[in-house]
Amino acid sequence: MITCLIIDDEPFARDALCDQLAQHTELAVIGQCSNAIEAMQLITKLKPQLIFVDIQMPKITGLEMVAMLDPDTMPRVVFVTAYDEYAIKAFENYAFDYLLKPVDEKRLQTTIHRVKKDLAPRSLELILPKQLEHVPCYCGNRLKVINVDEVEFAFSDLSGIHVTTCLEQVHTHLTLKVLEEKTHLVRCHKQYLVAPNAISEILVQENGAEVLTHSGKRVPVSRRFLKPLKQLFGFH
Amino acid sequence: MQLILLLTQQMCLYLVIVYLLSKTPLFKLFAETATRLPHKVYIYFIFSGFCVMATYFGEQTNDAIANTRAMGAVLGGLLGGPVTGFLVGLTGGLHRYSMGGFTDIACAISTTLEGLSAGMVGLYLRKIDKSELVYTPMLVFLVTFSAEMMQMGVILAVAKPYSDSLDLVKQIALPMLLVNSVGAALFMSMVRDQKTMFDKLSSAFSTKALKIAERSVGILSRGFDQESSTKVAQIIIEETQVGAVAITDREKLLAFIGIGDDHHIPGTPISSQITQDAIDQNCVMFADGVETRYACSISSHCRLGSSLVIPLRCESEVIGTIKLYEPKNKLFLNINRTLGEGIARLMSNQILFGRYEQQQNLLTQAELKLLQAQVNPHFLFNALNTVAAIIGRDPIMARQLIQHLAQFLRINLKRTTGLVTLADELEHIDAYLMIEKARFFDKLNVDIKIPPALNQYKLPAFTLQPLIENAVKHGTSHLFETGEISVSGAIEEDLLILEVTDNAGLYPDNQDDDNSGLGMSIVHKRIQNLFGNEYGVDIACERDRFTKIIIKLPLITASQPDTLS
Repeated sequence: MITCLIIDDEPFARDALCDQLAQHTELAVIGQCSNAIEAMQLITKLKPQLIFVDIQMPKITGLEMVAMLDPDTMPRVVFVTAYDEYAIKAFENYAFDYLLKPVDEKRLQTTIHRVKKDLAPRSLELILPKQLEHVPCYCGNRLKVINVDEVEFAFSDLSGIHVTTCLEQVHTHLTLKVLEEKTHLVRCHKQYLVAPNAISEILVQENGAEVLTHSGKRVPVSRRFLKPLKQLFGFH
Repeated sequence: MQLILLLTQQMCLYLVIVYLLSKTPLFKLFAETATRLPHKVYIYFIFSGFCVMATYFGEQTNDAIANTRAMGAVLGGLLGGPVTGFLVGLTGGLHRYSMGGFTDIACAISTTLEGLSAGMVGLYLRKIDKSELVYTPMLVFLVTFSAEMMQMGVILAVAKPYSDSLDLVKQIALPMLLVNSVGAALFMSMVRDQKTMFDKLSSAFSTKALKIAERSVGILSRGFDQESSTKVAQIIIEETQVGAVAITDREKLLAFIGIGDDHHIPGTPISSQITQDAIDQNCVMFADGVETRYACSISSHCRLGSSLVIPLRCESEVIGTIKLYEPKNKLFLNINRTLGEGIARLMSNQILFGRYEQQQNLLTQAELKLLQAQVNPHFLFNALNTVAAIIGRDPIMARQLIQHLAQFLRINLKRTTGLVTLADELEHIDAYLMIEKARFFDKLNVDIKIPPALNQYKLPAFTLQPLIENAVKHGTSHLFETGEISVSGAIEEDLLILEVTDNAGLYPDNQDDDNSGLGMSIVHKRIQNLFGNEYGVDIACERDRFTKIIIKLPLITASQPDTLS
């Protein structure tokens, strides 16, 4: 059984795909979600092997969402689209599998056949955005999309990954690794990333240092990362 | 008595010279009070000349000279102002002084004073804003009369011996007082007549030109054809009273009104060489019937005897001609020649404007077509996907959706680019929203709050629908939460105000992809093109809270004739 998740903002489209997938006993639809943030949560929680992702979704597109997933735990991805010519061209150029809405039964069979043969996720880097513009977050039940430029620093603790702006601290499903690779945030500690443009002061201490952000928050800097951080600002 | 006659003779000589001057363009300068330096210099020379001449032609009387010098000094002062008057008087006075005699100093002083005081009167009149009074003969008479009285006084006071001067004054006072005053008054009355005639002529000319312009405005911009040309020709003949007026394009006669319209039939090809020449050479052709012969090329019995042909230009290309005719027994007035050229320019501009406007309209129509074409594929795909998605689970709803889709497409195809009623536009929107609501299910709420009383008002087709589509496509579809769109309408003063508000507040995000901003700008441009710049589309946006599109339209009810479509 291949576990899969359907991600699409249109309820009827989800239902329709769900109905179609139900014909294929080798697949089990374990969840549906209507936007990227929900999807990130469910992917972390349910760890599906395959996801069907609609490209046109509110705030964070399907492509952007996949770029946010940690490559280490990345499921196999099948994009679904109605008319995004640009994306379709990219898929064809790199021979990625995609489905056109309304989904043709035969085409779906071919896709499932291919997935069964090779469940290993393929490198999607070629078609995915290199840099993220948004960070999907949530704060209790409230979903929120933060512009990546507003982030001062991010850190991980036992309860997960947190993103801090000058106004608030919210929770995200992005891993520090993804944030480090796909945003301008730089590593300053095993558990901390900081935005260089948010740094107001670097206070050197016995055991490393501390960064003071523009909004007055303190971010620890471990000795290991102090040097590269200083170099970033031209100190040697 | 004899002295009066002699002086009168002298005065007549002046008036003859003045009359001759009045036939030259120089005379025009008298007709306005001098304010600029070159003008004052001119006045100075002319009237100083008069003073000198007057002294020469003067009558030797008791070792003095009875003369009409005062006329020159006073007129110079009145027309030229105090400084000019003073200088005229001084020149005349110095010249008189050089002639000698026992009154030489007295005359020199008095003439200078006359010029200066007349100048002061002129200045005073200008100060109290009554400079027109300078041209009243009565005033000139009085000023000259007083000036001469003063001169007599100066002679009595200055010239020695007193007994001689008293004798002299007794003899010359009456003749000089009378002749100088009457002469100056007559001079001014000639100036005034000339001035009135000139003013009348130019005002008649401008009135005619303005009337033609006013009556013909907009006619040709609707198109340069037989119908519009006939209207314009009718206006020109009524206003100019020429024998006949014709308008042609490059090949044929479009309109002919007036003498000879029995054989100059609109629609027939151009037959006269002079018209052909005007078109080929792109210049005004004039056959006055005397130096350049003119004969009608169609009928030998035609009474038309002279013709003016002016090319009509649109950008530099000749697109036709306008022709003015006079019959053989009437002279072709110069004023009509100038007027004709002005009319041709006016018509050319109007035709050019018409073409420009037409192109502009074509452009908006083309853009509108583009808008329709652009919107449909995406919308259609989404609609079909929705239908495909629900057809298995809810066939009845699927059928209803297909009906809505058909309805939407039917309205879309049927629509012209003219005006439709708000009720029609709402029907279109309704069909559209039925499909979008099905697509987004519980994530889209639309509240249409337009009072039924507004349904009869008209607006350009595709005004509201593209804006609502924008609100969905670029607004609420980007929300996680439920999209709320409200459409409201109201009459404010003499405006029909329609508002489309969404709760996304994302304008102007996403406007650059697939030219979707075009929708809004076309709607705006069309409204402004149709109704004027005071109408159109305004946008108010508060980031992440709302976007409000406000449409301002004139109040046009369904009963009004739809002149715009």
